[in-house]
Amino acid sequence: FQKHEFFVDMTCEGCSNAVTRVLNKLGGVQFEIDLPNKKVIVESDHSVNTLLDTLKKTGKNASYTGEK
Amino acid sequence: MDPASGARSVVISVEGMTCNSCVETIEAHISKLNGVLSIKVSLRDKSAAIIYNPKEQAPGALREAIEDMGFVAALTD
Repeated sequence: FQKHEFFVDMTCEGCSNAVTRVLNKLGGVQFEIDLPNKKVIVESDHSVNTLLDTLKKTGKNASYTGEK
Repeated sequence: MDPASGARSVVISVEGMTCNSCVETIEAHISKLNGVLSIKVSLRDKSAAIIYNPKEQAPGALREAIEDMGFVAALTD
């Protein structure tokens, strides 16, 4: 598994739930959401682009901050 | 956009919004879809009232668009 860290501009619990749902819909991911620091750590074989596109579906600003 | 010109409205229930930023995100995102004429999301009523052009949009597609954003959407009618 590759471990990636993303910045996702989440402001509330609703936003973090939305991230949880889009990632679950994608599947093949293990993830941790750090709402206060607006970070999402994802373990997956999916490419960074796929993961980023998925996170952007929430309508939130998202960017890749590097490998863990 | 008066109904005479063929615009239709649909109310979609949206579960999972907890603050205003979710409302703004959904409104901004869905209003960009073609065929969407206007959208008003109510946090209190947990619903989104959308006026759309039936030639370009349909309730099912709008529901799916909200679901793709990570919210639980259902057609109320």
